[in-house]
Amino acid sequence: MFVRKLALEDFRNYERAALELDPGLNLLIGRNAQGKTNLLEALYLLSGLGSPRSSDSALIREGADRALVHGCVVRGSRTLEIDMEFRSGRGPRALVNKTAVPGTRELSEITTCVFFGPDELSLIKGSPEGRRRFLDDVIVKLRPARFGIRREWDRVLKQRNALLRSWPRSGDPRTAVETLEVWDEAFARAGAALAAARLEGLGALLPFCRKRYEAVAGGGRIEIGYVSSWLSEALVLESLDGAELDPGELQDALASRLRELRSREIERGQSLIGPQRDDLAVRLASPGETVRDARSFGSQGEQRTGALALKLAEFDLLSDALDETPILLLDDVFSELDPARRASLSDAVRDMGQAVLTSAEPGAKGSATANTVYEVVSGEVRRRD
Amino acid sequence: MYAEPIQRLIDELARLPGIGPKSAQRVAFHLLKLSEDDAGRLADAIVDVKARVRLCDVCFNVSDQELCEYCRDDRRDRTMICVVQEPPDIVALERTREYDGLYHVLQGHISPIEGIGPEDLRIAELLERLKAPPGSPEAIQEVIVATNPNIEGEATAMYLGRLIGPLGVKVTRLASGLPVGGDLEYADEVTLGRALSGRRRIQ
Repeated sequence: MFVRKLALEDFRNYERAALELDPGLNLLIGRNAQGKTNLLEALYLLSGLGSPRSSDSALIREGADRALVHGCVVRGSRTLEIDMEFRSGRGPRALVNKTAVPGTRELSEITTCVFFGPDELSLIKGSPEGRRRFLDDVIVKLRPARFGIRREWDRVLKQRNALLRSWPRSGDPRTAVETLEVWDEAFARAGAALAAARLEGLGALLPFCRKRYEAVAGGGRIEIGYVSSWLSEALVLESLDGAELDPGELQDALASRLRELRSREIERGQSLIGPQRDDLAVRLASPGETVRDARSFGSQGEQRTGALALKLAEFDLLSDALDETPILLLDDVFSELDPARRASLSDAVRDMGQAVLTSAEPGAKGSATANTVYEVVSGEVRRRD
Repeated sequence: MYAEPIQRLIDELARLPGIGPKSAQRVAFHLLKLSEDDAGRLADAIVDVKARVRLCDVCFNVSDQELCEYCRDDRRDRTMICVVQEPPDIVALERTREYDGLYHVLQGHISPIEGIGPEDLRIAELLERLKAPPGSPEAIQEVIVATNPNIEGEATAMYLGRLIGPLGVKVTRLASGLPVGGDLEYADEVTLGRALSGRRRIQ
């Protein structure tokens, strides 16, 4: 799939902008803070999963009352026009071929993007939340219908936490416990469904990740585990090796841990275990050495390579599963890599379908081979021939 | 700022569900343009509905008498109770003409976020209605739980099931699954999963 055309109105620092993109390699060059990343962000928004940056409150250009993003996406034999409107204080609206769709997540059935930017190092170094979000997004990109699992889980978690927080409610204590038992059951069921989807997604991602890490790092190994205080390690390992998971088994495991922890959860006023506390453990090894925790022992370069391998593996997995190459958005990645890794990455990108890269260096490697080059200067985009 | 009576009207309208400040303003200025008669009719309707409508003593449906029309109706099957969240749910079920039993309106669902627990709903009153000894002519044989198929509705249904099951009354839940006339391909995974686990043998 690829985006043929992108047009913006009152989006971030752009009053108006329009770009024709090549199905292959596209390069956006310009100095810092000119709006290159904003273009990648707009492309990512077309996939209906929200901004890859932390908040999307600032999408609307200062002084404007709404922002518009238009994209023309080619997928297989279909050409689809996507229009998105963002207004402050309400959710984004989306049109496909000028017809409103019920929610922006419908767009994830049309466009799939993989975004990699300088912040992505936080996949290794940052908080568990970023890693959970990465994996949860992969799950939805693989099968958009799975969005429901996440939505249900978020809601159950909020309700159960609200109940624990407001403990003890006035009135009959037996009623309170009976209510908690009902939410425990919902929590165990929704949590098990999400964890099962995560394990399946991670298991599918792993082989691609190992291959990419070796290629970019020129040897060495990456291992990723799923860390959870309620799942047995043996079960996690088996499922990551591809064994069929029984959601009922996960549900029972979560339910029985909830029973053990009940008094502590009531005392603390929040859910203490479950998928909302789980994490990915990334371990790396140089050639011939044993794997070590990437977060505490990896060098900056190794961590960056690990994060890049995860993202490229996401790309590979999606290409494999969707029978379509996702759109690859690489934000300023070359400047952070040493020359050898740069070369191996720019070789790799060449046969990865549509890729849009940004760089601050006018003579950046790749600019000679890019099919389309745009120059970005303070909210203006000009094509360079 | 508008003159005090206008601002007061806007503020009152903005407290209604689904009406934000902008809609409130639009409605307020529409009301200003009404003739004296039209405005009076609207105001009377609001006052009248508060004065004359009450909740049914038995099932908590809205009614203009002590008992609502379903509780009064002798032709209905008095051994079945269908439990719903709100009175409009009864209207929806009645439209099907598939059900001729009694109703019970909980007046909400269990939702800790909104601070609503079982004791805030008409659950104790429902249990009271189930007290007739089994075998007696007034005994309820089946309770159909027709709460919404969302997280809160499911939790409420689960809660009722745990409470009523031990009383020896049959408790059933409305089936949930695929919309009629829909496409399997576009069903979300949660709905489809539920439809699969609730599958039925073809007769």
